[in-house]
Amino acid sequence: MSLLEIRQLSKNFFHLSALSLVSLSVEPGELLGLIGPNGSGKTTLFNCVTGVLRPSRGHVLFKGEDITKLTADGVYHRGISRTFQLIQLFPEMTVLENLLMAAQERKGTLFSRLLRRDETEEMDRALNLVEYLGLSGVKDNLAANLSYGQQKLLDFGMALMPDPQVILLDEPMAGVNPTMIKALVTHIQDLNAQGYTFVVIEHNMEVVMSLCRRIVVLSQGEKIAEGTPAEIHDNPAVMDAYFGT
Amino acid sequence: MTDVFQLLVAGLSIGSIYAMAAIGFVLLWQTSNTINFAQGEFVVLPAFVMVLFLTVFRFPFAAAFVATVIVSTLLLGLLVKKVLVERLLKMGVLPLVIATIGLSMLIRYSLQQFWTPLALPFPAIFSRQPIRVGGVIFSSEEVMNVLSAAIVIGTLQLLIRRTKLGWAMQAVAQNRDLASVLGINVSRLVGVTFMLNAALTAVAAVLIAPVYLVKYDIGIGIGLKAFYAAIIGGFNQIRGALLGGLLVGLVETYSAAYISNQFRDAFALVILIGVLLLKPEGLLGIKEEWA
Repeated sequence: MSLLEIRQLSKNFFHLSALSLVSLSVEPGELLGLIGPNGSGKTTLFNCVTGVLRPSRGHVLFKGEDITKLTADGVYHRGISRTFQLIQLFPEMTVLENLLMAAQERKGTLFSRLLRRDETEEMDRALNLVEYLGLSGVKDNLAANLSYGQQKLLDFGMALMPDPQVILLDEPMAGVNPTMIKALVTHIQDLNAQGYTFVVIEHNMEVVMSLCRRIVVLSQGEKIAEGTPAEIHDNPAVMDAYFGT
Repeated sequence: MTDVFQLLVAGLSIGSIYAMAAIGFVLLWQTSNTINFAQGEFVVLPAFVMVLFLTVFRFPFAAAFVATVIVSTLLLGLLVKKVLVERLLKMGVLPLVIATIGLSMLIRYSLQQFWTPLALPFPAIFSRQPIRVGGVIFSSEEVMNVLSAAIVIGTLQLLIRRTKLGWAMQAVAQNRDLASVLGINVSRLVGVTFMLNAALTAVAAVLIAPVYLVKYDIGIGIGLKAFYAAIIGGFNQIRGALLGGLLVGLVETYSAAYISNQFRDAFALVILIGVLLLKPEGLLGIKEEWA
């Protein structure tokens, strides 16, 4: 069974069709690339999967269960986490607090929320992540005061914090310098080898081609191709979508 | 010189009540982008409810107080959130703001029409026995008001800083979309915030009722001053609302004593205008980008 299955998903904004009848599946342990020109519906697809937007038609299945109608917090609790194209952080919290925040809803009843936060386990995880991502030196800085690259790393760390089963990354390399890209690629491969499943939207073709074993291409809201990097590279429809007339 | 100290306590006493209502403003704005123009009536209604429990049902004071807080939390917290906020918030900030203006009039004139247009007496909670410190005489009621407000606000701060619920509130205030993707049920959190606000205004009601008497229209003044206080201190900072509330209370009290009692309400406005001109985000506020 696929871990995540998207069936005939459509999303309309008034009369504009942002996604139409897109189907794709993500297998456990996969590292799937999602590419396509600007405005092809990649982020809309992420938004529909994570409950940020409600799809107009179609279904999203996670481990065989229909999660189409769940709100964003419900999707999180099933084990799907994501990053945003534009970095999203809690600006007035420190790096560590941001990470803890990303895991705090993972457990606990309404009543336990009223008690003092017990987070030794989360704190260990956050400290490990900070170390792993090379953010130890700034762990007590406010997120708003980090450099762009550091914020991008923190964003990535927050997606990992709840120990999700699928991680959706929306342009993790955008605007990041080459050294940091290398580091991020290594992290993603590393985590993938440990069993984390990723879906990555990325414009840097070199990165996508080397990182992913399977790639899905969207154009104008429709899936136009799917295959290995080599197949995508040689697919005339893909070239056409990017450079076509 | 002694009256300076007496007025200081009097100003802090009324100011701490404004501060509680102003903190409620901030909480609602932070988590749900609601500006509640019925905040004054959110103070008046619990005062009436308290009178109901005390005089009609003959509850002892403590029981009446607890019952008032519960009724207020359900009515002005849960019900308002379910009936108004949940439906209107989707359409943006403005429809909800206008709805709260309507709600304030509904509460105010219903109390006038169906209950009484007269001022109801309210028993003193604390002894009015004056306290002497050196040559200065303080009203113990005022001192107790300040202490009660300090305890309530301190507890609230602890809740926000130390509990998971408080952290979720901070998260929603700082980044709503991210908070919901990180598993926070924003809608439920908004409900909890409305209930917290209603509890705050219920406490404010019980503290202010012995001072002002219970009348259907006192909410206009209280709501406005709490609103000034929130703007003066900074609409996105609880400590700002606290500072703003105390400042409005002090300015009002001192100017009534030393300048003009008739124009006492005008001086808080002067400060408000000054702050808006010189530091529009408020004394302790943080500039926000309009999202």
